[in-house]
Amino acid sequence: MQIQLREVTPDNIEKEKRIVSQIWGLNVSINKGEHLHIVAPSGSGKTSLMHFIYGLRKDYSGSILYDNTDIKSVSIERFSTFRQNKISIIFQDLRLFENQTVRENIEIKRILDPCHQPEKIAEMAARLGIENKLNQLAKTCSYGEQQRVAIIRALMQPFDFLLLDEPYSHLDEANRKKAMELIYEECAKRGAAMVFADLKPLDFFKDEKIIYL
Amino acid sequence: MPLTYKNIEPLIVSGKNNFSKWLGYFGLGIGVLLLFVSMQMFVNIGQLLRENSPRKSGGYDFISISKTITNENMGKDNSFTNADLIKLKEQPTIAEVAPLISNKFRVRGTAGDIIPFSTDLFLESIDNNFIDTVPATFTWQPGQTVVPIIFSSDFLEMYNVFAPAQGLPQLSAKTISSVNIILECSGPYGTQNFKGNIVALSDRINSLLVPKSFMNWSNLHFMEDTAVHASRVYIKTKDANDPKLISYLDQENYHLNKDKVKFSRIKSILQNIVRALGVFGILVIVLALMLFSFYLQLMIAKSKDNLRLLLTLGYSPKWLAKSVAKTWLPVYLIIIIAALILTEILHLLFMQFSFVKSANLSYLPDWSVWITAVFLFALTIFINLNLVRKELVKII
Repeated sequence: MQIQLREVTPDNIEKEKRIVSQIWGLNVSINKGEHLHIVAPSGSGKTSLMHFIYGLRKDYSGSILYDNTDIKSVSIERFSTFRQNKISIIFQDLRLFENQTVRENIEIKRILDPCHQPEKIAEMAARLGIENKLNQLAKTCSYGEQQRVAIIRALMQPFDFLLLDEPYSHLDEANRKKAMELIYEECAKRGAAMVFADLKPLDFFKDEKIIYL
Repeated sequence: MPLTYKNIEPLIVSGKNNFSKWLGYFGLGIGVLLLFVSMQMFVNIGQLLRENSPRKSGGYDFISISKTITNENMGKDNSFTNADLIKLKEQPTIAEVAPLISNKFRVRGTAGDIIPFSTDLFLESIDNNFIDTVPATFTWQPGQTVVPIIFSSDFLEMYNVFAPAQGLPQLSAKTISSVNIILECSGPYGTQNFKGNIVALSDRINSLLVPKSFMNWSNLHFMEDTAVHASRVYIKTKDANDPKLISYLDQENYHLNKDKVKFSRIKSILQNIVRALGVFGILVIVLALMLFSFYLQLMIAKSKDNLRLLLTLGYSPKWLAKSVAKTWLPVYLIIIIAALILTEILHLLFMQFSFVKSANLSYLPDWSVWITAVFLFALTIFINLNLVRKELVKII
C-alpha cells in the first residue's frame, strides 16, 4: 500500500507557512516500510496532517490517495476497514475511554481484527512499565501512562501505516526509548511505514528522512 | 471470538430513566394487544354474523323496495314507472335494478288430490340474475304446459305452520318439488290450465316466481297488457347500509324492508366498534414507538463520545447501528409474542360463549393477526435500525 499527498493544503493555512512547508501544496509519497519524520513547531498543522491522512477531516484542498484512491471519495463504511487493518494512529490527545480500564481500552481495539493474542497486552504493558495499571480506570492514570496505553492500543491491530502524533510528549527519556523500540519492532514485523510527527528531530530518527512541515 | 454487542455494551450509556423505558414497554404491549384483539374480534364477528342469507351474493346486497303507502297516495297507482326505474339506475349506490312484474290475469292454484288445497295465487317474475337459485329448468316457451316455479322458503315455512291445523300435510323442501300444482289462468281473452312445478326455493325473494317469458306471454295472452307495472323493485347494491342509499330512498318515499338490513346494521356497528378499537391500538403503538425513539436518541446522545471514538478506532458504522438496534429486538419479540398469547386466550374465552359455539371459528388466531405480528416486528426492526443509523451518521 502507498499513501500519496497531492498538493494537500489546509483550508485555513497562512500563506507564509505554506510557502516554507515541505509538505503543504507539494506531492509527497509514503511507501510501506518507510519511516518519515515530520518536524514542525506547534500550530503548524502536524495534527491536521495526521487527521487528514487518517480520514478524520476533509478541510483541505488537493488530494490524499490510498493506493490511487482519493480518500475523500471513500465511504465511512469502507474507511472503517482501513482503520481496522491498514492504518493505525496514536493521537496527540490520546482519545481513551476514560471510564474503562487500561486493559479494556486496549482490548476494544485488539478484538476488532485480532492479530495478537490477549496475553500480548500484558506483555507489552510490562515492556512499557504499566503492567500494574491494567485493571485501573484510564482516567485514574497519569498522562504519561495514558500515552503508553494509547501506544499499545495502536499496536494491537494489523497495519501498513502507523501515524504517531507527538506520542512521547509526556514520557521521560527511558520510557520514550522503550516505547520507540516497541514501535520499531511492531512496524518491522508488519513491514509497515511509520509517519512520526513531533516538535523537534528525535535521536532515534538520526538516519531517517526528516521533512519540515 | 467474533465481535458482539457485549464487547461494546459498557460503552453505551443506557440512562437511568427506567420509568420511561417501562412505560414504553407497557404502552407498546397494550397497543399491540388492542390491535391483535380487535383484528381477531373483527374476524370473529364477521364469521359469526356471516349471513347465510342469499340477499348478499358476490359482494352485493339484493334488497326489495316499494313505494310507501300513505293516506295521500292510498288507492292510487303506486307502481314504479319507467322513469322511476331509470332514476334508480342512475344512482351511484345502485348497481342494478330489476322490477318484479306481477300477473294481471287471475290465477287459481290447486294442489290436486294429495293436498286438497285451493287458493287464488299471485305470480311474479324478475330477471334471472336477481334470483338466488336458478336451476336450468327454470325456462318456459309458448306451448309448454309445465310452468317452472321458484317458491319462497318463507312461504313454505308459513305453510308448514298452519298446515297441521288445516289438516294438510307438512312438506319438506325436497318433497315440495313433487307436489303438482294446477294453475288455472283466466282473463277476458281466454282461460288455460298449466301444470306448476316447483323447481327451487328462494330465500331472497318472497314470492312465487315464474319465468319472465311466461309472465310476458300470459299477460299478453289473457289480458292483452304489455305495460310494466311493478309495485316492487329489487335493487342490487354494494352496501344496503350505505347512508347515501338510505337517505335517497327516504327522500323518494321508497319503503325498504328494514328487517332485512337490521342484521347487517348490527354487524356493521359491531365491526366499526372493533375497528375503532384497532385504530386506537395503532395510535398507542405509534406513541409507544415514539417514546422508544426518544429513549434511543437519548441513549445515543449520552453515548455520543464513546460511539464517536469507536468509529474513529475503526468500528463499522453499519455493525454499530445493527448491534445497538439489535439489543431491543428481544424486548419487541417478547411483547409481540405475549400479545399473541393473550389474544389467543381471549379468543378461546370468546369461543366459550354459547352463541359462538355453533359457528365454526378456528381455535387459532386469524392469519391476518399473524401477518400483522410479523409486520409489526419487521417495522420495529426497520424503525430502530434507521433511527440508530441516522443518529450515528450525525455524530461522525
